[in-house]
Amino acid sequence: MEEIYRVEAVSFEYGGGPALRELSFSVDKGECLAILGANGSGKSTLLKLLNGLLFPTSGMISFTGKPLGEEALKGEFLRCFRERVGFVFPEPDVQLFCPTVSDELAFGPLQLGLRYEEAEKRAGELLKMLGLEALKARTPYSLSGGEKKKVAIASVLAINPEVLLLDEPTNGLDPRTQVWLLELLRELKKLKKTIIIATHDLSLAEDLSDRAIILDESHRLAADSTTAKALRDKELLLSANIIHEHSHRHGELTHRHSHGPYSTHDEHD
Amino acid sequence: MKLPEWFKKKDGECQSGRGIKPHGFIERNLARFASIIKEVFTTEEYASRGGLLQRLDGRAKLTGFFLLLAAGAMTGSALFLFGVLVVIAVLASVSRVGIAPVAKRVFPSLVFTFFLVLPVTVNAVTPGKELFGYNGFAVTREGLLTGGFFLLRVVVMLSLTALLALTTRQSDFFKGLGRLIPAFFVTALFFTFRYAVILIKTAEDATMARKSRSIGRAGVTESQSWFASRAALILKRSFSMADEVNMAMISRGFAGKVRTPPAGALGARDYLWIGFSSFVLFLSIGT
Repeated sequence: MEEIYRVEAVSFEYGGGPALRELSFSVDKGECLAILGANGSGKSTLLKLLNGLLFPTSGMISFTGKPLGEEALKGEFLRCFRERVGFVFPEPDVQLFCPTVSDELAFGPLQLGLRYEEAEKRAGELLKMLGLEALKARTPYSLSGGEKKKVAIASVLAINPEVLLLDEPTNGLDPRTQVWLLELLRELKKLKKTIIIATHDLSLAEDLSDRAIILDESHRLAADSTTAKALRDKELLLSANIIHEHSHRHGELTHRHSHGPYSTHDEHD
Repeated sequence: MKLPEWFKKKDGECQSGRGIKPHGFIERNLARFASIIKEVFTTEEYASRGGLLQRLDGRAKLTGFFLLLAAGAMTGSALFLFGVLVVIAVLASVSRVGIAPVAKRVFPSLVFTFFLVLPVTVNAVTPGKELFGYNGFAVTREGLLTGGFFLLRVVVMLSLTALLALTTRQSDFFKGLGRLIPAFFVTALFFTFRYAVILIKTAEDATMARKSRSIGRAGVTESQSWFASRAALILKRSFSMADEVNMAMISRGFAGKVRTPPAGALGARDYLWIGFSSFVLFLSIGT
């Protein structure tokens, strides 16, 4: 299997302290990887490092064998990297900055040097495929939260990236849009796209990813295993603050069990 | 989880409120500002109608309006300004907008301008033939003519701007502007407006959150301190958002220069409009 990313002893610090410590793992082509962790564990920072938006304080990240450093990410390699890797931000408002939805979808292809006719064709086809044709001429800020998210994802898909990085993709989405997203990601997975999702939505990770890495609250890699195995390890999930224990009632019966932030929970005690 | 004892205390009945003003100065003005911004940048009701001005290319429309604005600024003739007002009324009508929406947008600024020009009408500022007065102060004929002409010019300029805003989708406006001046400035201008809407929403939410936890009115010092802290928060958030937007652009291939779609050719209607506006500008010279 071709290796897409290699992360070697990567640490990253913001002004206020460490965001990531000594992470090492690799991602193969066509793999669907979930990055799980509590808020503030460094998931988003890790995705930005993988997208070449931030650079490690120490350690090294390589993309298809080439170092992904500030010096290396220039010229033809930069264009090729941006063409192959798409990043969906958690907050769609920061990602939607063009006057219309149609322009938004054409932005990426145009910046990467595609001719306008080709960019427009891609935008039209994507709008049709995702059922967003009615939004074509709308201004992005006039859309609902779910629509903004759909357009943000479409704007990244317009580049036709081989690797898709998604930061908390289900945050703030209504159930119907969550199902829409899940179905879309499943289709992309079938196309052997490499998908890396940072989330604390365990049901999304369980439904979609083959492998999960878990970041703990000390910003270290706590586990790297199959998703099924990681989600079965209750102690690990509790220690990483991904699930919590609580009690609730079913009629007369009160019982205690562990719960993820959304729908995943284990058997009743 | 164990709740503290005070948490279990039952609430009494609420009495009806008396004599408390529902809105503070900051809240009222913020809400008004937010409503204006939203109205200007999110209302596309008139711009989506199929009238004459709506069918023009953005570049041609902006060029024509700039020429008409220049004509309004250059002329010294009240008759000419009345003529431009008639043209505006006809354009509003054939663009399926009507005069009322234009007047509604012009009126508030006109009232402000009226009070601004009042001093010009008195003899202390503009000497001349005194029409009526009191205690040494009098309104002069020359003062009235000067003030009236200034007001008329303001009405024309504001009406042209309002008509342009009403008949142009925001996206078309920025696209059109992008063809006339360097794209960098237009992108910066567009981002300013785009994110102003979001940051104003943040400010509104902060005001609401405070209101939901306040009773009565806060003192001036407390209000100032709160306002300063919220202003700092919004400034910090705007920096963080600018950073994220920059990253989102870089992530999609932006490398310092925005590549925009090529402009299409202008049609006969666009050339006619520019020709008409140029003719009006020509007429204004020397009048």
